Amino acid sequence: MLEPIARAARQHVLIAALTRRELAARYRGGALGFLWSLANPLLLLAVYAVVFRYVFTPRAEIRPYALFLFGGVLVWGFVSASLSDASETFRQNGPLLRKTTVAPEVFPSVAVGARLVHLLLALLVLGVATVWASATGSVRPSAAAFAFPLVLLLLVATVFGLALAVSALAVRFADVRDVVGNLLTLAFFATPVLYPANAVPERFRPLLRLNPFAAFFNAVHDSVFFFRAVDPSDWLAMAVAAAASLAVGGALFERWRDTIAEEA
Amino acid sequence: MPGAIRVENVSKLYRRADRRRRGGSLKSALLSRPAEGEGRRDEFVPALTEVSFGVEAGETVGVIGANGSGKSTLLKLLAGIVRPTSGRVSVDGRLAALLELGAGFHPEISGRENVEVAGLLLGLSKKEVASRLPSIVRFAGVEDFLDAPVKTYSSGMAVRLGFAVAAHSDPDVLLVDEVLAVGDEAFAHRCLEKFSEFERSGKTLLFVSHDLPLVAARCRRAIWLERGRIAADAPAAEAVARYRERVAAEEARTRFASPASGGSGPGIGSGRARLEGVRLLDAAGREARRLRSGEPASVELSVEAADALSDFVFGVGIATVAGVAVLGVNTEADGLVPETLSGRGRVVLEIPSMDLAPGVYSLDAAVHAAGGAPYDYRRDVLRFEVTADRRGLGVWSPGRRWRAEGGVRWKT
Repeated sequence: MLEPIARAARQHVLIAALTRRELAARYRGGALGFLWSLANPLLLLAVYAVVFRYVFTPRAEIRPYALFLFGGVLVWGFVSASLSDASETFRQNGPLLRKTTVAPEVFPSVAVGARLVHLLLALLVLGVATVWASATGSVRPSAAAFAFPLVLLLLVATVFGLALAVSALAVRFADVRDVVGNLLTLAFFATPVLYPANAVPERFRPLLRLNPFAAFFNAVHDSVFFFRAVDPSDWLAMAVAAAASLAVGGALFERWRDTIAEEA
Repeated sequence: MPGAIRVENVSKLYRRADRRRRGGSLKSALLSRPAEGEGRRDEFVPALTEVSFGVEAGETVGVIGANGSGKSTLLKLLAGIVRPTSGRVSVDGRLAALLELGAGFHPEISGRENVEVAGLLLGLSKKEVASRLPSIVRFAGVEDFLDAPVKTYSSGMAVRLGFAVAAHSDPDVLLVDEVLAVGDEAFAHRCLEKFSEFERSGKTLLFVSHDLPLVAARCRRAIWLERGRIAADAPAAEAVARYRERVAAEEARTRFASPASGGSGPGIGSGRARLEGVRLLDAAGREARRLRSGEPASVELSVEAADALSDFVFGVGIATVAGVAVLGVNTEADGLVPETLSGRGRVVLEIPSMDLAPGVYSLDAAVHAAGGAPYDYRRDVLRFEVTADRRGLGVWSPGRRWRAEGGVRWKT
């Protein structure tokens, strides 16, 4: 069940090299290189700041809303892009897979790894923006932010498990890519990314609990926007989600692993 | 022992590609019951069937056979890229597979970075790649382009770099699929040198090639695959010879499907006498295209002369399909003095024992004047196959026995 994860761990040097190559290839040739990966979140932040200051008026408890939204959207972007990349990775890396002895676990790992690097860079922008906002007094950072790395770790584990499942399923079933794309769009609105969970009417909240990502985004907003302790029930939900995702993803991947190189 | 390969009773079935996708949507998997939907039934094509062989450490083995005979599948199984449907494959020691030169090179990034990834893919550590980089670059001859993106390389450069990395990955077993075909002459030589170096250092090399002379020259042993089965596993020269015979026989079959008895094509010559028909007869006197080595055979020439001639010679030649002359006889050389040739007639060359080695042969027949000026010369007028229980190289397979004296004894 966990063999794919162990194998991926053994291949970490190769995964790192392929991830670097993936990123290098994406930014090579652009004069600004890696700065481009900062430009996108910066632009996003600027748009949010303008729109939610002058166009829409958000609720009082989630101001500055641009910052709230920005953190959520960055993290969601990581989830969504990782999974949609994972659904295409075997098709894209077909030649490598068929002609070299590379372990297939490497490819979903690279898909997640490359997106994680993007996220970390974008989080720099979030960090700077948060410091700026605290200087003007609109947020009050506290030690609660130290929970964030652990939240992120659990999220990465969850996404990695899902990426294993999605990549293996996508080899077997041609329409997985579309299914994943649609589910992600739906999940974006069904997850407290744009809104805090307590903005959801009381009677719908149990429904929200069913969404495994809800706890992660509660925790993200709690740790780096509201700067308050993450709810223990959210910790529990995140830990369960990560463990279940790795177990199920690992088992699915293992089941189809042998035919990936033939059918990708 | 590192370098040994063991393949036991291995079969490989592939799912048919067209079935794969048709039955392969999540929706249909969830919605349709197994009984409905004709695309649900998996159809398989065998790529390899019950293949068994072993390779000792240090052997250089060629793998030959037609396209689609399973050569690449065999290498992929050995490399562990695909799993056998049944049977066992084991390879001792570190293995490097070169199934496609430059596989996995990313066009947008530099040669240096690609070498690192390629090296890691071949199982080297980062340190090993770094320490071998100068030698890799020298071998590939891309010193000046190392930091340029691979998309700016000529295809030859990319190929050389790919081979260089693999050659420097220091494996116990190297699997190579048809790489020499892509480079230029100088590169091919360098590859061959590297192969020799490999051999000398006791490494195992398995290479697929369509370059039969190369296989015969460089390998001690060759495996000939035909339709997924081992057709021969023999010393390279012999395996190559038998494979060639088979190819020639196939060609002969397709080519000589129509003219039942030869002589239909136009001959060269003045036409003062014409060969109406050329027939090959077996021991029983029946027309035949397949003879058994060592049995009697005869060649029958039917001739017609418009006017009476007193100067005529009949000749028969046999050659291998590769063009090596095996027999060239004529009535003049055999001491027959012509008197008259008029109207229709028949000349038969009887061979008491057709001692040809198994293979496909081509027959020439002619009627000409004493000085050689042809009346009717039919080149390659028919082809025939010689079969035998005994194998051997060459074109001659006489009746034979071995004697031994002293301390030499065979099992009986």
